[in-house]
Amino acid sequence: MARFVARRLFSLIFVLFSITFLTFLVGYLAPGDPIQAMMGSRRDPKIYARLQHEYGLDRPFTEQYAAYISGVLQGDLGKSYRFAGRPVWDLIKTGAPVSAELGLTALGISLLVGVPVGMLAAIRADGLFDRLSTVGMLLIYSVPGFVIAGVLQIMQVIAYQNKLPSLPTSGWGRPEHWVLPVLVLAAATTGYLATLTRSSMLEVLGQDYVRTARAKGASQARVMFHHALRNALIPIVTVLGPSVAFVVVGSFAVENVFRVPGIGFVAVQAIGTRDYPVIQSVTLILAAAVVVMNLITDMAYTVLDPRIRTR
Amino acid sequence: MRRLKKNPVAFAALIVLAAMCVFAVLGPWLHRVDPALQDVDNLRAFPSALHPLGTDDRGRDTLARLMIGLRVSLLVAVAVEAFNVVVGAGLGLAAGYFGGAVDFVVSRLADMLFAFPGILLAILISAVFGSSIGTLGDGAGRLLLVSGSLALVGWPLMARYVRGQTLALRERPWIDGSRALGASDVAILLRHILPNLGNLVIVSATLDVAGVVVSEATLGLLGLSAQPPQTSLGKMIVEAFGYITLNWTQVFWPSLALSVLVLAVSFLGDGLREKV
Amino acid sequence: MFINKSSLVLRVLPLAAIVLAACGAQPPQATQLPPQQVTVEVTAPPQQIEVTRVVEVEKPAAPAVPGNQVLRWALEGINEPSTLDPAKAGDAPVVFATGLIFRGLIQLDAQLHVVPDGAESWTVSSDTKVYTFKIRKDLKFSDGSPVTAEDAAFSITRSLDPKIGGGNGGYYLSNILGAEDFSAGKSDKLDGVKALDAQTLEITLKNPSAYFLYQLNFITGYILSKKNVTEGGEKWYEKPVGTGPFVLGEWQHNQKLVLTPNANYWAGAPNQLKQVDLIFYGGDQGSTTACNDYQTGAVDVVGSFGQNPIPSQFVPQVKDLPDYHSAPQFVVRYLGFNNKIAPFNDVKVRQAFALAIDKSKLIKLLGESSVRAQDRILPGGIPASELKVDGLSFDAVKAKTLLAEAKFDPATKVTISYGTEGDNAKVLEFLQQEWKQNLGVEVTLEPLELQTFSQKLTDTYNKPEEGLQAYYSVWGADYPDPQNWISQQLRTDVGNNNGHYSNAEFDKLVDAADVEVKDPAARLKAYNQAEQIAVTEVGWLPLFSPNANALVKSYVTGLVFTGQGIIVPDWTAVRGVAQ
Repeated sequence: MARFVARRLFSLIFVLFSITFLTFLVGYLAPGDPIQAMMGSRRDPKIYARLQHEYGLDRPFTEQYAAYISGVLQGDLGKSYRFAGRPVWDLIKTGAPVSAELGLTALGISLLVGVPVGMLAAIRADGLFDRLSTVGMLLIYSVPGFVIAGVLQIMQVIAYQNKLPSLPTSGWGRPEHWVLPVLVLAAATTGYLATLTRSSMLEVLGQDYVRTARAKGASQARVMFHHALRNALIPIVTVLGPSVAFVVVGSFAVENVFRVPGIGFVAVQAIGTRDYPVIQSVTLILAAAVVVMNLITDMAYTVLDPRIRTR
Repeated sequence: MRRLKKNPVAFAALIVLAAMCVFAVLGPWLHRVDPALQDVDNLRAFPSALHPLGTDDRGRDTLARLMIGLRVSLLVAVAVEAFNVVVGAGLGLAAGYFGGAVDFVVSRLADMLFAFPGILLAILISAVFGSSIGTLGDGAGRLLLVSGSLALVGWPLMARYVRGQTLALRERPWIDGSRALGASDVAILLRHILPNLGNLVIVSATLDVAGVVVSEATLGLLGLSAQPPQTSLGKMIVEAFGYITLNWTQVFWPSLALSVLVLAVSFLGDGLREKV
Repeated sequence: MFINKSSLVLRVLPLAAIVLAACGAQPPQATQLPPQQVTVEVTAPPQQIEVTRVVEVEKPAAPAVPGNQVLRWALEGINEPSTLDPAKAGDAPVVFATGLIFRGLIQLDAQLHVVPDGAESWTVSSDTKVYTFKIRKDLKFSDGSPVTAEDAAFSITRSLDPKIGGGNGGYYLSNILGAEDFSAGKSDKLDGVKALDAQTLEITLKNPSAYFLYQLNFITGYILSKKNVTEGGEKWYEKPVGTGPFVLGEWQHNQKLVLTPNANYWAGAPNQLKQVDLIFYGGDQGSTTACNDYQTGAVDVVGSFGQNPIPSQFVPQVKDLPDYHSAPQFVVRYLGFNNKIAPFNDVKVRQAFALAIDKSKLIKLLGESSVRAQDRILPGGIPASELKVDGLSFDAVKAKTLLAEAKFDPATKVTISYGTEGDNAKVLEFLQQEWKQNLGVEVTLEPLELQTFSQKLTDTYNKPEEGLQAYYSVWGADYPDPQNWISQQLRTDVGNNNGHYSNAEFDKLVDAADVEVKDPAARLKAYNQAEQIAVTEVGWLPLFSPNANALVKSYVTGLVFTGQGIIVPDWTAVRGVAQ
């Protein structure tokens, strides 16, 4: 096990290295550049050349990449192009906890609602609860998040205009600011998890060993939790790995609609202005989180089903 | 088919899906209104005899647009999910069953794609191929681009689902039994593992459809997808959402179509599951 | 500059302790008289009647009760200011924010007249190349230290300093003697800017210019405290010291700036206010979110700055409210053509495309209360816009004739590119349909992500033969002078002339007009003739001018709405919401 973890952590370095290279390359090839973004649509070759030189962007690709990597190896994520002189870490460090808190809350709610709903539906497949919950879960899942967000905001406007209690439609800092973004983030995930759980449970309940357990007279509860759920959880755990990782960098869309100052909020602006040091760093953090979470997922498999060998 | 007949819900879902395809393909011959025609005296109209589903904020007929929009969304969804199932599930199966170097390469590639800033990639693809492939065959090139981009970032999740399940299946006693009896890897994969994965693959692909339809609209903004006068369900929702307080019906119709599509595909998938 | 209305955020005459009836009356604060009186002519904003009043310059007294009012102001377009350093700031919302903390030597009033700010007076030499400013006596920075000509010289020099790295100084201040060499790093001092004594600043120009003071009015001309900048380190602007009405209280990153009154503000501190919150709304959804927040009472002012007015979909809902203000602004949206490649290198093709557009339908589509049709380059209000220009108005028959004369092959692939934001797709899809109907030409649209579009425009400028055929673009005035619209857009090879329109007679006219200072009427006439040439030859295909609009809660007093932004004639009269 220790060797397994060590090897996977070693592969982390490989993944991070590759992803920085790929991001750097794509950034280098993609049209649009940070200097022009700073200058708006004004065109002045002299000013352009001067700024380009100042930011080191007139150097060849390999030199730029080498400079970046040597910085990262020394723990320096670089300085933002757009936020003149501000270290990237400065921009990201305040956003990470915000994104993580918000995302984990939403993910927690989704798990607490989605998994039990999916299980209950599977117990009596094709029953009334199954039918209603399946349709309901698919509906909240299939309506795009920005529609749910917008409708919730409009509801607050209507409530406010009719002097009813209303929630803030954007902002951060007070507990009531959490409600709408958490609802929107949780809605789709809950629908997804419920549907996945239901299907996965149905699959497992049809397996021979579960039927054997039933035949041996095991109680319904014991069959559900001891035999079925553990195996049914494998897909859930699989999707949770990357989900938790994504939570750290926040939801680009939701954070922007509700002005939540998380990493996603910073990242969207960075992509729009080609602020590569920031994009690079967000990617790096996400990649590290994905690798670590997928490692944890693989370890969780062996807990759920001890026959699975980690190799 | 026989299985479907026993499951009325799935059978109904199949009929709904078929009806949607007919609506998308044959509809424009029945409702002969130019979906690009802008009637500036009838902006954001509610449903009427002239415009059965109303008009959008450029005075275009929503029913006519829904037909051509559904076509684009269906095409993209089918293309992306086909790739997802073949490539994503295939690689996941290989990674889970063979482990070792195969697993390492597939899993790490998936990790990287998970983390890669997809928007940036889309911008690059649009810029590099937009003017070459993108202009092919009356918009078909752009659909190819958008499907390719979505498929590229979509398969890792499918691969990880399948890999996780395969890891568990591989260690089941009956597999060991077959192996002891001298069954080849291919035979084991085809006869024992693949049939047990169908359900998960169907559910995952089904759930992905809603995401694909909406992402297609986002990429459309970057110039990757079908361009005017073409449209798609996602694009219709995005556009109409801006004026939802003036005319909610224009968000409602494409959203309804999307939800019905997702529900029908899900119930059909449900019905296809082996019920022993 | 890309409709960076920044420059246009015409700051006001804080001298004038005027309360315009329209903005809710609040009696001027009791104050003591300064040494001398200044007479100022004040005209009401465009939609109001003209009034002339004698205004006394007054210094504020310390308020009896500290203000308890809060004004919450939504600024759209960005999530977070990149800096508050006037030498580097560029985004309209940041330019606005810096303008509340820092001030320059001069400012513009609501009628775009240059009026004193940090300088109480100035003289211009007879060759119109040397400007001598007298800094206001007793002018203090927000930290209480005196402002000297040395600080002003330091600030202007700094804006051009290549080591500082701002992009705007080289643009706005390039006419100062020695500026080009200095900003290119070829010289280590700026010859044209000298502090003669503690109170006197001399600026020498390279060429005579009728619009230098407008250029100096931009934030790159703001007075910084040399001590603050040199001792404050790299991030000195996080504790900025200026001569504006406010100081920075708190910077809540990715949310807002909290400004508090500057007790040392020379024209009267905003002493009814406890604070002004500048709340940032970035991203595609920013304007919508800001409007939602306005409607739930979380902000008091929305709109009118930068590229994000009230979203056009919101306008029908709010346009009848007393909170809603709308006025023409100095912004024109147009189509640009690549004059170096087919088919738009043929003037008849350009004319045919221009004549085939029924702008009255476009206006209906975009909302009659939001935009006005534009048949010429200059928007109303810019000098020379009062002179007549014959535009190309809708004539489908003539359009077809011209296209036939041009021997335009209908099989030619015509592509028009645009950046995806706001209503752009709506406009382009409309044009696509017009050309199909009225010319029988199938135009392909190429929507591009904003930075990609910007890059392609640069490429088109650099290598026109491989560039875009045509593009949808926008211009917002950097300063209210025709030079900024005519010469800087369409003179052969100027930086903004992406499509390489070129006409020798046009060039001759604008070159003469740009340096004409003695005869303003002749200067404007020359611009007018040049504009007519460019309109007839379709150097630009002007489409429409969007209105500026804003929502201001009725309890907010002291703000004046104009197309050039919200103007505050007297900060002491401003009230927000009690807290």
